Amino acid sequence: MSGALLPIIVLLPLLAGTLLTAWAAGDESPARRRLTAAVAGAVAGAAFLLLMSLAPTALNGPLLLWQAEWVPGIGLNLGFRLDALAWMFASLITGIGLLVILYAAFYLHEDDPVRRFFPALMLFMAAMLGIVLSDNLLLLVVFWELTSISSFLLIGYWGRLEESRKGARMALAVTGGGGLALLGGVVLLGQIAGTYELSAMVAQASMIQAHPLYPLALVLVLLGCFTKSAQFPFHFWLPQAMAAPTPVSAYLHSATMVKAGLFLLLRLDEVIGGTPLFEGLVASAGLVTMVFAAGVALFKHDLKGLLAYSTVSHLGLVTFLIGLASPLATVAAVFHILNHAAFKAALFMSAGIVDHETGTRDMRKLGGLMTLMPVVGTLTLLASAAMAGLPPFNGFISKEMMLHEALYAPNNGLWGDFGWLIPILATLGGLFSAAYSLRLVHDTFFGAPATELPNPHPHEPPWGMKAPVLLLVGVCIAVGLLPMTIAGPLVLAVSTAVLGEAPPTFSLALWHGFNVPLLMSAIAVAGGVVLYAGVMRGRWLHHAPAGYVQAKALFWWLNDRLFEAAGRFTHLVESRSLQSYAAWMVGSVIVVATWALVSPLGDAPVAGPRETIAATPMAVAVWLLVIGAATAVVLLQHQRVVAVVMAGAVGLVASLTFLALSAPDLAMTQISVDVVSTVLLLMGLALLPQFARAESAPWRRWRDGVLAVAGGGGIAWITWLVLTRDFSSISWYFIENSVPKGGGTNMVNVILVDFRGYDTWGEITVLGIAGVGVLALLDGLRANRPRSDMTVDPSGRAWSFAEPPLMLRQVARLVLPLALVVTAYIFWRGHGLPGGGFIAGLITAVALVVQYMARGQGWAEGVLHAGGGTRYTRWIGSGLLIASLTGIGAFVLGRPYLTSAHANPVLPLLGEAPLATAAIFDLGVYMTVVGATMLMLSALGAASKEPPRARAAGGAA
Amino acid sequence: MTLSLEFLLATGIGWVTACGILLLLRGRSFPVVLGLTMIGYAVNVFIFAMGRIWTGAPPILGTGAPAFADPLPQALVLTAIVIGFATTGFVIELALRNRHDGGSDHVDGLSDDEQRRREFPHGDAPGQAGEGGR
Amino acid sequence: MSMLDHLPVLVVLLPALTAVALLFIGDGSAGEHGGHGHHRLLWARRLSVASVALFGVLAALMVQRVAGGDILVYRVGEWPAPFGIALVVDRLGALMVALTAAVALPVLLYASGGWDSHGRHFHPMFQFQLMGLAGAFVTGDLFNLFVFFEVLLIASYVLMLHGQGRERFKAGLHYVVLNLVASALFLIGVALLYAMTGTLNLADLAIKVPQLQGSEAAIAQAGGLVLLVVFGFKAALMPLAVWLPGTYAASSAPVAALFAIMTKVGVYALLRVHGVVFGGVGDAPGAAEPWILPLALITCAVGVMGALAARTLARLVAWVTVASVGTVLVGIGLFTPAAWGAALYYLVNSTLVVAGLFLLGEVVASQRGEAADHLEPGPAVGQPVMLGLAMLLAAASAAGLPPLPGFIGKAMLLEAAAVHPWMGWVFAVVLVAGLLTIVGLARAGSILFWHVREDLPACTMSGGSARLQGAVALLLALTVAMSVFAGPVQRYTAAAAEQLGDRAAYGRAVLGEGAQTTRPYRFDAAPAVEAPR
Repeated sequence: MSGALLPIIVLLPLLAGTLLTAWAAGDESPARRRLTAAVAGAVAGAAFLLLMSLAPTALNGPLLLWQAEWVPGIGLNLGFRLDALAWMFASLITGIGLLVILYAAFYLHEDDPVRRFFPALMLFMAAMLGIVLSDNLLLLVVFWELTSISSFLLIGYWGRLEESRKGARMALAVTGGGGLALLGGVVLLGQIAGTYELSAMVAQASMIQAHPLYPLALVLVLLGCFTKSAQFPFHFWLPQAMAAPTPVSAYLHSATMVKAGLFLLLRLDEVIGGTPLFEGLVASAGLVTMVFAAGVALFKHDLKGLLAYSTVSHLGLVTFLIGLASPLATVAAVFHILNHAAFKAALFMSAGIVDHETGTRDMRKLGGLMTLMPVVGTLTLLASAAMAGLPPFNGFISKEMMLHEALYAPNNGLWGDFGWLIPILATLGGLFSAAYSLRLVHDTFFGAPATELPNPHPHEPPWGMKAPVLLLVGVCIAVGLLPMTIAGPLVLAVSTAVLGEAPPTFSLALWHGFNVPLLMSAIAVAGGVVLYAGVMRGRWLHHAPAGYVQAKALFWWLNDRLFEAAGRFTHLVESRSLQSYAAWMVGSVIVVATWALVSPLGDAPVAGPRETIAATPMAVAVWLLVIGAATAVVLLQHQRVVAVVMAGAVGLVASLTFLALSAPDLAMTQISVDVVSTVLLLMGLALLPQFARAESAPWRRWRDGVLAVAGGGGIAWITWLVLTRDFSSISWYFIENSVPKGGGTNMVNVILVDFRGYDTWGEITVLGIAGVGVLALLDGLRANRPRSDMTVDPSGRAWSFAEPPLMLRQVARLVLPLALVVTAYIFWRGHGLPGGGFIAGLITAVALVVQYMARGQGWAEGVLHAGGGTRYTRWIGSGLLIASLTGIGAFVLGRPYLTSAHANPVLPLLGEAPLATAAIFDLGVYMTVVGATMLMLSALGAASKEPPRARAAGGAA
Repeated sequence: MTLSLEFLLATGIGWVTACGILLLLRGRSFPVVLGLTMIGYAVNVFIFAMGRIWTGAPPILGTGAPAFADPLPQALVLTAIVIGFATTGFVIELALRNRHDGGSDHVDGLSDDEQRRREFPHGDAPGQAGEGGR
Repeated sequence: MSMLDHLPVLVVLLPALTAVALLFIGDGSAGEHGGHGHHRLLWARRLSVASVALFGVLAALMVQRVAGGDILVYRVGEWPAPFGIALVVDRLGALMVALTAAVALPVLLYASGGWDSHGRHFHPMFQFQLMGLAGAFVTGDLFNLFVFFEVLLIASYVLMLHGQGRERFKAGLHYVVLNLVASALFLIGVALLYAMTGTLNLADLAIKVPQLQGSEAAIAQAGGLVLLVVFGFKAALMPLAVWLPGTYAASSAPVAALFAIMTKVGVYALLRVHGVVFGGVGDAPGAAEPWILPLALITCAVGVMGALAARTLARLVAWVTVASVGTVLVGIGLFTPAAWGAALYYLVNSTLVVAGLFLLGEVVASQRGEAADHLEPGPAVGQPVMLGLAMLLAAASAAGLPPLPGFIGKAMLLEAAAVHPWMGWVFAVVLVAGLLTIVGLARAGSILFWHVREDLPACTMSGGSARLQGAVALLLALTVAMSVFAGPVQRYTAAAAEQLGDRAAYGRAVLGEGAQTTRPYRFDAAPAVEAPR
C-alpha cells in the first residue's frame, strides 16, 4: 500500500540515483554528461511524481506510517511518516532539486567532472528526503549527518581551491558537530520517552518536558538545529560554503539543507516546544540572526555573499516566528519557508548566470547589465522585490504576517520588560533586507556599464538556465496575487500538522487595510531605500572595509589554536622515551596495588598466623650473597662483564633457593637456563661497548630510586603477607592422581607434560618462535660489522679478543659426548625423578655452547648454515610437530587433545620402564629446546667475533 | 621474632626486584636487559613462594617424605623460566641489532651527546664520572 | 567425540600446525629473488591463505554453535576442570576468534602482495600470532591465558620488526621491553590470585574470589589490579597508551593492521578478569571499577588530541586507534550489560576500521610519490575517486558518522550511559571526541585528496595492485555489513554481554554442580603413595 512508497522515495535517489549517475558519467564525454544529468533528473522527477501522487493523503490525512526493523535493540528502526509538513518539504526538495539539476547541466564547465557532482547531489537529495520523511528520530539523525557528509563533498567539489577546502571543512565541522549534539539530545529524548518513534513520542510530551534532563536535551537538539540553519552565532559557515558551485549553493544553502533545522524545530514542536525555555531561546536566536545577518548582507560585495547573508537573515526570520509560538506565527513561518525557497533559489540561479556570463560576482565590478541581459535582469528584479518584501509578491505577505506577529504575539518571558524592542528590531530587519535587495539589483543591472569584466561580452544564457528562474519567479508572483488559492490549503494543512490541531482561521492576502504592520513595512522599505542611497553616496559602500569581528576568522583562529595545542600536548605526553614509559608502568602498579592493600580496609593487612621456618646460618649466608650480588650488579653496571657475572650469581642463588626449598626440578632448570643466558649476555657484550658513562641526571636517579624502593618493598611486603598465611589449593588432586592417572612420581613433571601439558605446548612454541625470530631479527646483521681487519670500531670501542686456548678446545671435545649421555639419562628419568625433556635439552645446548666457545665463530656460522641454514629451524619444527601430533593422537581414540596413555613394560637391560605418551611429548620439548637455543647462540655468534676466554670462564662459573 | 626463612625470602625477592627496577630504568640497553633478567629471577622465586615454602618436601611421590611442597607453582615457574629465557634471549639480540643499526646503545637511539643534553640541559654533566674500564 | 567437538582446540591447532609446515617449507631466503626461493614463497602464501580461510570457517562454526547460548567446554587431556586446563568458548570468545579471522584474512592477502618477502619467516610468524590470539580467546585458565599472551606477543615482536630498518628497531625495542615488564607483572598477578584462591581456572576463580574476606580479599585485589595494569597496557589505556602510536606507525602496514586486534586482546582479558572473576559481590570484587571509566575517558581525549597533532596518516590512524580503544573501554567501565554490549559492538567495528585505515593509508601513500603519507600537499593520487571514497567510508566510520557502524556503536554507548551517574562526562567526551575526530580526519582527507600541488605530475597507480585494494575493499565491506546487519550483530553482542553477567551459569558449565575444588594444603594433607618399584 502507499506507505511502502515512502522508503522507495528515499531509496530512489539513495541507490538508483547515486549508482546510475556514477555509472552514466562514464568517460565524461559530452553525451555521457548529458545522460548523467538526464538520469539524475529522471530520478528526482520520479520521486517528485510519487510525492504528488501522495498529495491527497498527505494534505487531508490520514497520517502515513511505514515501519521496518534495522537495529531494534537500540530503537533505531526504518520508521517513515508522511504528513503535510513532510510532504511540503519533500516536494520542495525534489521539485527544486529537479530545477537545480536542469540548471547544473548547463552550468558545469566541460572539465568539471560530473562523476563527482551528480552522485553526491543524489546522495544529498536522498539524505534530505530521509530527514523529512523519518518518523524514527535516530533514523532522522542518521540522515541529518548524511547531509553534512554529502554537503562536505559538494562544497569541496573544486577541492583544488583553498576556499573550497576551507568551506567544506568548516561546514562539516559546524554542521557535523551540531549533528553530534543532536544525537546526544535525541538519545536523551529517547531514553526519557522510552521510544524514538515521533508518533509515539508526541503522546509523552508533557512527561518529557517535566523530566529533569529536558533542558539538556532541548539545548542539545537546538544546537543541532541552529548549526544546520546557520543561526547566530553559528551562521559563519554558510557564507563560506558559497565556495561551492552555484547550483549547490542554490539547492543546499538556500532552498533545502539550511531549512532542515527549521524543519526539525517544526517537527519537534509538539514534543519539546511550548515551554518558555524553548520559546525564549528560539525566538531570540531567530530575531538576532535576522537583524544581524541582514545588516551584514548589505556590506557584502560578492553577489553570493550577499545572498548567503540574506538567507541567514530569512532563516532567522522563520526561526523567530517559530519561537513566537502563536498559531498564526507558525502559519507565517510555514508560508515564509515556501516563499523564501522560491525567490532565493531564483536569485541564486541568476547570480550564477551573471557569474557564468561575466566571470565575476563582485558587485563593485558589475553594473549596467540590464541592457545586455534584459530577461535575466527583469527576473532578478522581480525576485529581489519579493525578497525585499514588496507587494504584490509572496515575500510581502509573509513579511507582513511576521511584523504582525512581532507586534501582537504574546511576548515570551525571556525579553521581559524589553518586549517592546521586538517589533522595532523586526522592522529594522525588514529595512536592511530592503536595502540589500535594492543594492543587489542596482549594483548589478543598473548604474554605469561595467568596464573591467573578465568576460567582456556577457549575453543572455541558454534557456536551460533561465527556465528554472522564470518558473520560480512565476511562482513568486502567482502566490503573491492569489495566496489563498495557491498556497492557502497547503499552509493550512502544514500548520495543522505542526500544531497538532487546526490553527485559527487566517487569510493570506496582500491587503489587510491600513494597519500598524503595513506602516512598519512602509517604514522598512522607505528606510531601506534611504539607507542604500546614503551608503552609496560617492560609492562609499564600495570602499567600505569589513571592519567588524568576523566569526569566520574566529573559527579559523580557534581551529589553528586547537591544532597547535594538540601538537604541544601530544609532544608533552608522547615522550618517546622508554625510560619514562617504563617508569609510568612501574609507578602505576605501585599506586594501584597500594591502593588495593590499604584503602578498602582502612588499615593495611598484617602478617598471618602461619608458623614460619627458622632461618639457618646457611640461609642467612645465601641471603647476604644475593643482596650483595644484586647490589653489585647495580653499582658495577658500567663494568659490564662484571655486572653480567654478578647477575649470574643472583640466578645461582635463585636455584639454590629452589634446591633448599624442595624444588629440585626448578633448581636444575634455573641453573642451566642461567648458564645459557649468561653466555648469551657475554656474547652480546662482544657487540656492545665494554663500558658506559654514568649518565643519569640527579632528578632521574631520585625518581628511579623511589620507584625501585617502593616496588621492591611492595613485593617484599606482599610476599611476607602471603607466606604467613595458610591456603587451600587444587594441588591435592595432583598428589592423588600423578601415579595412578599420570603414570609418574615426579609431580612437577607430570603436571608439565600431562595435567598442564597444554601450557608446556604453548611454552615450547614460544621458545621455538624466539629461535626462529632471532634468525629473522639478525638477518643480515653481519653486514653492519666493522671490517675484520679493524680492532677498534669507529666510536673507539674494542673489538678483538684473544683466541681460545688449545686446552679448552680439547676439553670441549670431551664434554659433548659426556653431556649427551647425561642428557639421555636426565630425559629418561624425568617422569619419575627431577629432570625431563626441557632440562635435558638445555644440557645438550650447554654442551654445544661449550663447543661453540672452543671452536669459535667459524663453527657457529657452520651451525647457522647447516642444512642450507635450516637445520635448527627444522629441529624446532620437528619438536613442535612431535609434541602436537602426540596430542592429536588422542583424537583417534575420540579423546580430547593431549590425552595421555601410559604403561610400564619390562624392557631388556633397562628393566621396567615407565612409558607414557607424555614421554614422546617430552621428546618434542627436547628437540625444540635444543633447536631454539642453538639458533639463538649461533645466530648471535655468527654476527659477533671470537668470544673472549675470560668471559667464557665467567659465564661457566 | 626470630629470623625466619619467610622473612629472608620476602626481603630477598624485594631487594632483587628493587635492583631490577633501578636497572630497568637506565638509559642504555644493556643495563635494561640486565634489569629484566633480575626482575625475571625475582618473579620466578615469587611465583614459587606463592605455594608457600617447605623444607625437605620435594614434590616427588614414593620417597617416603612426610609431605610434598605444592607442585603446581613449581610447574608454573618452570613454564615461566622457559618463557623468560626465550624472551630474554630475544631482547638481548634485539638490543644488539638496535645498537648496530641505530649506531647507539641508548634505548631511545640517542647519541651520547643527545643523551647528555637530555639529562643535563644546563651542561653540568659529570665529565668522565663513573667511567669504568674492563 | 566428533571432529567438531574439538572446535575449541582446532582453532589453536590449525594455525600452529600451519606455522610448523611453513617452517619446513621455509621462505626461500636462500634465493629470495626469483627462482627456487620465490617458488617456496608462493607455496608459503598459498598454504598460509588457505589455512586462514579455513580458520575463518572454524570460527564461523564456533559462533554458530554458541550463538544459542551454549558454552563449549573442552577439557584438554581429559582432566576435569579446574585441575587440568579447560578451554571455554562462550559468545564473547567465539566473537573474538571470528573477529581475528575477519581481520587476518584481508591483512594476509595484503601482505602477500609483497610485504611478506621483505624479511624472513613472515608467514610462520603470522600463523603463530593467530595461534596465540585464538589460544588466548578460547582458554578458560588464567595461567594458560598468560602462556598464549606470550605466544602472541613473541610472534608480534618478530612481526613488528618485519622489514627491519632503524626506526622499526628502535620502536621495537620499546615495544618488547615494555611487554616483558608487563609479562612479569602478569605472572605476579596470577601468582597472587593463586596464592589466595589456590586455583587458576577462571570459572573457579569467579567463585572463589568473591568468597575472600578482609586481608585475603585485599591481597587478591592487589593481584587483580596488577593485572589491570597489564591489560590496560595491552589495551592502551592511559597512562599506558602513549607507546602505541610510535610502535604501530613504525610497523609495516599489514602488521599494524593486524595489531588492531592486539589492543582488543587487552580489552578481552580485562573483561574476563575484571568483568567476570572480580564481578561478583564481596570484599574483593569491583577492584577495577573506580579506575577504568575515568582512565578510559582520558584515553579517549588523549587519543583525539594525538590524532589532531599527527603529521603522517599512519600516526593519525594509530592515535585514532587509541581513541577508539578509549571509547570501547568507556563502555566496559560503565559495568552494565547494556554498556558492555555497546562496547563489544564498537570494538568489532573499530578493529575492522582501524585495520582498513592502516592498509588504505599505505595504498594512498604509495600513490603520492615523495609526499607519501605525510599530511602535506603532494601530487594527485592515481585513483582519487576510488581511494577517496574508501577513505571517506573508513574515516566516517572511525569518526562515528552515520550510517556507518561507528555511529551505531556510539549511539548504543550513549544510550547505555544515559542512566549512569557519569552520564555528563561520557556524553561530553564521546561527543566532543567525535567532533574533533571529524575535524582531524576532514583536514587529513582534504589535504590528501584535494590539496594537490599542480607543479608535480599526478602519480602512477603503483599502489593500485588489485590484491592490495581487494584486501582494503574486503575490510571496508565488512564494516558496511556491520551496519547493514547491525540488528543481528547488536543482538549477538548484547547477548554476549548478558552471558558474561551470568557467572553462575558459567561456573556450572565449566565445573559442574558446586563441587568443592580446593582443599586446605598442609603437611598432613599429603597421602603417602607407593613408589613404583
